[in-house]
Formats: sequence, structure tokens, C-alpha cells
Amino acid sequence: MGALNKESYVVLGCIGIRLFVSLLFPSLQHQLDQAVEFSTPMTSFKSLYEGIYLLKNHIQVYDGGVVHHPVLLVWFFSQIPSEFLIDLLYAFIDGIIGYQLIQITKYLRKCTIPCWVVGAVYALNPLVLLSCVSRSSIIFTNLFISSALLYVLQGNILITAACIAIAGYLSVYPTLLLIPLLNMVRTTNRKVLTLVISLLTWQILLLLSYNVNGHDWNFLSATYGELITFGKVFPNLGLWWYFFVEMFDAFIPFFKAVFNLFLFSFIIPLTLRFHKQSLYAFVLCIGWIVLMKPYPTLGDSGFFLSFIPFFSPVFGYLRYPIFSSLLLLHGILLSPIFYHLWIDLGSGNSNFFYAISLVYALGLASILADLTWALLRYEYDDGKPNYKTKLTQI
Amino acid sequence: MRSGPIATICCFILNVVLFAQATELNVTSSSINDHDTNPSLELLVDTDDKTNSITSNDIEDVRVDDINERENFNVITINDDIQYPFNEKLLIRPLPNNNLLASFAFEMESETFIPGHDESRSDQYRHFTVFPKAIEAMLGSTSTRQLHLRFTRGFWDAESWGRLPHDGFKSGGSGVELWAIIEAGSQKEAFDQWKTLANSLSGLFCASINFIESSRTTYPVKSFQPKSTEEGLPIFGGDETKNNKLYLLRASLANEPICTENLTPLLKLLPTRGKSGISSLLDGHKVFDSMWHSLSIDVTTHCDFNTQTCKYDMDAEVDMVIHVPYTLARNEHPIPRPTPNSELRCDLTKPYDIYQCFPLPESNSLSFEVSEIFGKPIRGSNLISNNPSKVCVDIGDNHENNSWEALLKVNGSHFGTDDNCFDLENKDDYDIYISSSNTNEIGRHSEKEEDVPLYVSRSLTGYGQDRGGLRTVFTNPTNDTIRAVYFESLPWFMRLYLSTMKLESDAAGAGLDLHDVITSVHYVTAIDHKRPTHLEYTIEIPAGTSLAITCQFDKALLQFAEYPPDANHGFEIESAVVTILKPWSYQIRTSTLLLSLSTPDFSMPYNVIIITSTVLGLIYGSLYNLLVKKLVTIEEADEIASQVGLKSLITRLKKKFI
Repeated sequence: MGALNKESYVVLGCIGIRLFVSLLFPSLQHQLDQAVEFSTPMTSFKSLYEGIYLLKNHIQVYDGGVVHHPVLLVWFFSQIPSEFLIDLLYAFIDGIIGYQLIQITKYLRKCTIPCWVVGAVYALNPLVLLSCVSRSSIIFTNLFISSALLYVLQGNILITAACIAIAGYLSVYPTLLLIPLLNMVRTTNRKVLTLVISLLTWQILLLLSYNVNGHDWNFLSATYGELITFGKVFPNLGLWWYFFVEMFDAFIPFFKAVFNLFLFSFIIPLTLRFHKQSLYAFVLCIGWIVLMKPYPTLGDSGFFLSFIPFFSPVFGYLRYPIFSSLLLLHGILLSPIFYHLWIDLGSGNSNFFYAISLVYALGLASILADLTWALLRYEYDDGKPNYKTKLTQI
Repeated sequence: MRSGPIATICCFILNVVLFAQATELNVTSSSINDHDTNPSLELLVDTDDKTNSITSNDIEDVRVDDINERENFNVITINDDIQYPFNEKLLIRPLPNNNLLASFAFEMESETFIPGHDESRSDQYRHFTVFPKAIEAMLGSTSTRQLHLRFTRGFWDAESWGRLPHDGFKSGGSGVELWAIIEAGSQKEAFDQWKTLANSLSGLFCASINFIESSRTTYPVKSFQPKSTEEGLPIFGGDETKNNKLYLLRASLANEPICTENLTPLLKLLPTRGKSGISSLLDGHKVFDSMWHSLSIDVTTHCDFNTQTCKYDMDAEVDMVIHVPYTLARNEHPIPRPTPNSELRCDLTKPYDIYQCFPLPESNSLSFEVSEIFGKPIRGSNLISNNPSKVCVDIGDNHENNSWEALLKVNGSHFGTDDNCFDLENKDDYDIYISSSNTNEIGRHSEKEEDVPLYVSRSLTGYGQDRGGLRTVFTNPTNDTIRAVYFESLPWFMRLYLSTMKLESDAAGAGLDLHDVITSVHYVTAIDHKRPTHLEYTIEIPAGTSLAITCQFDKALLQFAEYPPDANHGFEIESAVVTILKPWSYQIRTSTLLLSLSTPDFSMPYNVIIITSTVLGLIYGSLYNLLVKKLVTIEEADEIASQVGLKSLITRLKKKFI
């Protein structure tokens, strides 16, 4: 009973903190929505709001280069009458994600930490908190990813398939998570069923969008086309933007294909290598996508980092946790400063921000590599930790 | 800026071509050249002889070299009634602070033609008189029904100078502005014609108009509409299967420098070629040494539906504002030098010493001749139409108290008229003498005419290079509610958020809401690299009120090759156009804006490609190794290593030999 209480406190606290911050600092939303770390053209609330405005004024939403949000999301928001309800919605969704993380923890057999801690880590994670306050639309994708994970653990493949399809509908790349997800579904029949249902859901969503968008397919290129081909070159924490700013014209399409392939390249290997620890494969795949996606935000990485408590049984095997966390911290703290130096003060140039985005990428990559190592090491020890054995790879 | 060298080269080539054309094709100019170089040809002053020479040249132009025709031509020369549809007028109007507006207007008409006739057939010919052949060919090949071209530079100080000449309908925004009505079967076809038109004009006027592309072209829906009083523009159509429509296209190049290269081709289009009539005053050095100048060309098609014939009308205007004392000083000392001590105008009521003093304001008595302003007198009338060249000085009525005086000077004697308008009848050199004892008093025919109905100013807000705001301030100084259409075309790299549009107003307009003043909005969002943002709205500004409309935008980052060579100079954003509909029609353009975008490091392409690739390789390599390699203890690893590889080979070799 006490544990249950703690869990509900955590969820309520999660919602409360977000509402409190949103209401106490009303200008914070605007500030964060302008920060490159939390908003990209694909997820910013400003652009979403422009979409709502255009929709309400009967102007073609996707016949232009400003709105890149999925049709149904824009439509959904146009139905919300007040600002407070939007704040409430965002806080509530973050609460649900926190709750789902707690529920997922319960399915971990070897978890050494109390379930509520996972929720508390999520609730207090400043990256997630600020991302929520900035009203970045990435939160919806995160919600459907965590729901998919929870329901697959519960064995409800219908909802799982639908959720991952919705996440994919919202921002393409989570579709790749279907691969580690299928690995978590037991029998082949159920696997096929999951695949079919998610494809079907995806189709329905697209058809619905087609209808809502006034029988026009132009939203496909404005949302997915722009995302996959990196149509909007805006500075962000990812590895794509500066590469394509400086790339020679003739090679741009080639390298866009290569980067997309690169993003896809580790999904199957990770799933195969950790097919017995399928949940961890799923989390590592999330991490890989967050690292390599064209428009990453700190909301993405905050979501990924919230899964790290799941790795508590293997914490002992981590080789350089201090180094990784310092690298990440370095990147996150310096990026707004370097961006400010470049854009506002003019006393630094674009290389400053580029350098910090590299540090950030290396930080995330070192966390990923370290977790992978720890999992391999755990697998080697077969559940009986022996930290003294010195292992190497050949 | 980008287009500078290209424009220069093109101009050079074009000047050569034009020169060739002028000497070869249209003999009118050469005949007048003869007059100029050979002043002893007294006979040519006679009207009959003038007609004679021109007509014969025109017949040569049509290349009829039959002797019978030659005989006919003698008959034609006797005909006294032949006159060419050409009119020219110069209006000189003093402006406050010793400024002077000189407004040159030229009107000409083409011969009638039958629309839809295939002119490439061998038995067809076209007859050209005063209307420029180059323009007509261009209009014909691109199915253009109306063409409007503006070259403007400088700042029109509306608060001091009052209304723009021609109510602003003949001057453009800073840079080049072009709009045209094109007949086509579809919008795409219209755009293709438009591209052709722009390229032809670019060649003809030595300007970078060829840089007009889809990312700069808009299709205005409320502004730039042809005047409703016209009988409607004709659609030549062709056969019925083609469903032709008229398309209005507009584009502007804000960073285009306007110079002599653009004036010379304009003068070459006139039948007088700048050799006689008022156009002889136009000299690049003087026109472009002014505070504000504007060249404009408007061509419209008029059709007579009874006779099924059409003709083109062309208006060319050259307007400029000259600061008289400055220009007179330039005449004395072409290279500026410090004023000598004796000529310094010191304010002796304030402290002074032998080195420095406070200056007095400019003298308010002025007397000058137009030839001092333009460097040469008017070389006779236009000698081509029966309408004499006309010069008017707008200084109000001649009465005793009028401090202004304007006289025509010909052959050393001065003449005055009641309305201060002078007809130049013959081939003498004319000059206009203007003097004033008090330049602060400017007589006008009616005060009402000078009221500026609206002041508009637009500026950029914000400080970062990643976003900013646009702020347009409308000030209505009149006692009427003003109804106007605001037109704005912004480049795609300014991502405008229409949802952020807000209204601020002064005390007089307190309580107004955005929906109260903006009645209808036409908005086309930009597409990257393809289409500009196109915003038009109708706005009503209550009497005596000042309103500000603000809007936020994001600035895009471009690819490094898309930046101009001087990337940190910024990008010129073209003027917004405000067309006032009520209470009277008037057009204003705001000044251009300079938008600075964030720039990447231009020296970095290779470094970035290499460094990013290295990081990607590092990440890929480490993860790949982890996933693919086998996990073993160090002892096992050593053992395996001792069995394979170079080290083990050496040990084995050692064992064998030692």
C-alpha cells in the first residue's frame, strides 16, 4: 500500500511540477520554444500554432514551408479552446509517461530499485520537464513509444501495434522501433498480427489525414518528406545540420540517403544481438535513433535517459559512467551559451555550436556504447555478477 | 550585388547592339544627329522639310526601294497632316529646402495592328514609327498585354516634400520592380512567358532582371490591378480550344543599383533618342546625382473592338529630386573641396573664431537656369510630332506677392507666360530661368492636392540572427478614414508566422482590434527556394490615428553556396506597397530592409565533412566492435593471441632456430 501511494505521489507530483512551472513562468514556454535545444521546425509549438491558425482561417496548411506537424495533431489542437487546457494536457501526458515507466519497471525481473524511483527520475529529469513546458510536440511521440512498450509487456499486441503506428505517424523514425518490438512478441503468428495491425493503423491514420486535409496528399511531403530529406536546415543538437550546410550541392542527396541508412543500420543488429534481453534492445534502439535522427531535441534524449534506471542490474559493469555523463553535461550546458555567442552576440561563429553538438553526440554515443558493453558483460556472467573478471573482445 | 558584373557585361554588349540598331534600323535618330552636327541645315527647321526627312526615312525603314514608291514618297511629303503620336512634357516643381522636382514625361503610341495575325509570314509586315520596335517585339512574343517597369533609388521624404509625383503610381520601390499582365493558357505557361519577358528586359535595360525567378514572383490579387476605368484588357486568344486568361505577375529586385546603364537604353527607346526635345537634358551624371530618382515605363494595349485592331501605348517617365545648391556647387567644383573662408556662411550670433563657426541655414534666395542643373540646354523641340515639347514650372499663379519667377530663355532673350508653361516650337536652344527671393514659400495651385494621405514606415525588430519581427507603422494625418491595400512579398528564408500578427495603436486608436482594421487577408505561404511569402490585406486606418502591425518570423540558415559573396552584408528585403483606395487613390512604398542571416563558417566545408564523418565513424566502429566481437577473458585472449599473429610467429620461429 505504501509503495502504491509513493507511485501515485510521483505521478501526481510529475503533473503538479509541470503545471506549476507553466503557470508560474508563463514566458518560459515562449523562451524554451525558441531554444534550438528544445524546439525544431518539426516539433516547435510556434509552428504547430501557426498550423492551427491557418486551419482556422481556411488557408492551405501544408501548401508552404512553415508547418511540418502531422495533420491530425494540428486538427486535434485546433479543437482545444484554451491555453490552460493545453498546459494541462501536456502535464497530464507527461504524468502518463511517468506512470507507464513505473508500470514497465514492474515487468523487469531483476530490477534492484523500487519502481517509484523510475517515475521520480522521469518527473524530476530537467530535460523532460523543460521539454514539456516548451510544449514540444515530441511528447506525443514519446507517449506512444512508452505505451507500445508497456502494452507489449502486458501482452496486448493490438494496442501495442496501434501505438507504435501512431508514434511512427507522428514522426516517422519510431516506425523503426517496430523491429525490436516484434522481437518482444512471442509467437510468429502474433508477430505477423502485430505487423499487420500497425500497418493497418498507419493506413487509417494517413487516410484520416487525407480527409482532414481537404482531400490533398500534400501533407506527406510537408511532414515526412521534409523530415527524411532534412528539408529545413536549422541548427540543432544533431549531426546532420552543419554537415548539410557545408556539403557541396551535388553530394547532398547522396549523403541524405547515407545518413538515413546509417540511422537504420543499427536497429536490426541491436535487436539480434540482444534478442534475449528484448526490452534492453528496444531501449538501445531508442537511444540510437535519438543520437542519429535529423532533428533531435533534449526532449528526446531526456526520454531515453529516463530508461537508464532499468539498467540498474548492470550498473556495476559500466566502464566510464563519469566520463559519459560529464561529456553529456558539458554538451547540454554549453550549447545554449555557444548558440548565444554565435547568433545573438556575434562574438563566436557557427563552429562553436557545431563543436558542442559533436560533444553532445559523443556523450550520447559513449552512454550507448557503455550500456551495450555492460549488457554484454552481464550476459557473459550469466546473472552472477563477477566484477573482478577482466574481459576483452576479440 | 551579385548581379553587378553580369549587368555590366550585358550592358556593354547591349550598348553596342543598341548603337548598331540605332544607326542601322531606325533612321530617325540619324537624321536628327545630322541636324545636331550640321547646324547650317537651316531648311530643316521648316515643318514641311522635317516631315519630309522623317517620312522618307520611315519608308526606307520598311525597305521599299521601288522607284515607283520613291515617286509616291514625293507625294507623301507634301502632306502636311502627318504627325506622329508622340508627346513630351517636363514639369519642374520646387520642393521645400531648396529641392527641385524635375519630372519628364514621354507618351507614344504604336501603329495599329490586327491581333492574332502571324507576323512571321513573308507577306506580312509591320510598320514602326515612334513606338520602339524592341518593346513591341517583346510584348508580341510573350503575349504581354501590360508591362510596367520601375527603376527607383533614393528616399522620398514625404513629410517634407509631400505627395509623390503622379500620386506614386509611376515610381517603384528601391531597386527594380516589374509587373506585367500576360495572356496564357495556364499559370505555368504565364510564368514561362514572364521568364522570357524578364530575360528580354534584362538585356534591353542592362539590369539584372533575369534574376527574377519563381522564388521572387508573386501573383497579386488586390494590388497592381489594371485601372477599372479602362475598357478591359483584350484577350487575343487564338482559337477557341485555348482557354486563355490574363495573369498578373510581379517581382522586385531590391538590391539592384540603378545607374546610367539603365537610363541610356530608356533614352534609346524614345524617338528623339535624347538628342532633341526635353530628353536632351537627361544625362546620367546629373540624373543619378540626385536625392531621389525614378525611371518608369508603362506599356498598355488598347483595342478598338469595332475595327478589331489594337495598338500599344507607352508612357516613359523620368522623375528626380535635385538639391539645387548642391548641384550648383558641383558645377563650380566637380571635386568637392572645403569652402574658402570668404564664402563661409557663419552664424555670427553664436560663438566663433577664425577656425570654426556655426553655419547659417541655407540661403533662401535662389536663381539658376535649368542648363546649370542638367549641364546643357534643351536642344529645340522634339521635331517629330506636331505637339511641341512642353515645359511647365509649377510655382503657382503669377501675382505680385509670388516670390518665384520662371522665364524661358531663347537666343539671349527672356519670355514669361501667365501659367508658367512654355511650348518649345522650333530648333533653338532653350533654357529656363528660375529665381526665388524666398524658397520657403512655395506657391501651389491648391493646398488640398499636396496632402499626403498616409505615412507608412516599416522596420525590423529583434536582435538575434535566428528570428526577428516586422513592424509596419501606418499614420493617417487626414480627417478621413483611409482604406488601403497592403502588399508584401518576403523571401522564403523569412519564415513568417501569420499567427503572431498583432496590432498596436496610439491613444487615438485605443481599443481597436486587429479584426477591426484588417478587413480581408490574402496569404500565400512561402515554399523554400520556390515561392516567396505573399501577404496582402485591406486595412482601414481611422482619421488621425497611428497603427502598428507587427509580425514575427524565423530566419532560415542557407546552404553555404546559397549565400552571396558578401554574406555578412545582409539581404535586401523589397519594399511593401500600400495602395490607397479611399478617399482618393495613391500609392506609397516603404523603404527596403536589410536582413542579416546567420552564416556558417565559409572556410569549413572540408573540415566539417571530415570531422562529422570521423565522429560517425567512431560511433559506428565502437558499437560495431561491441556487437560483433566475442567476449573472452584477458588470459584467453592472450592465449589466442599467442597462437596467431606476428608475435606468435616470431616466438615459433625463435623456438625453431634457437
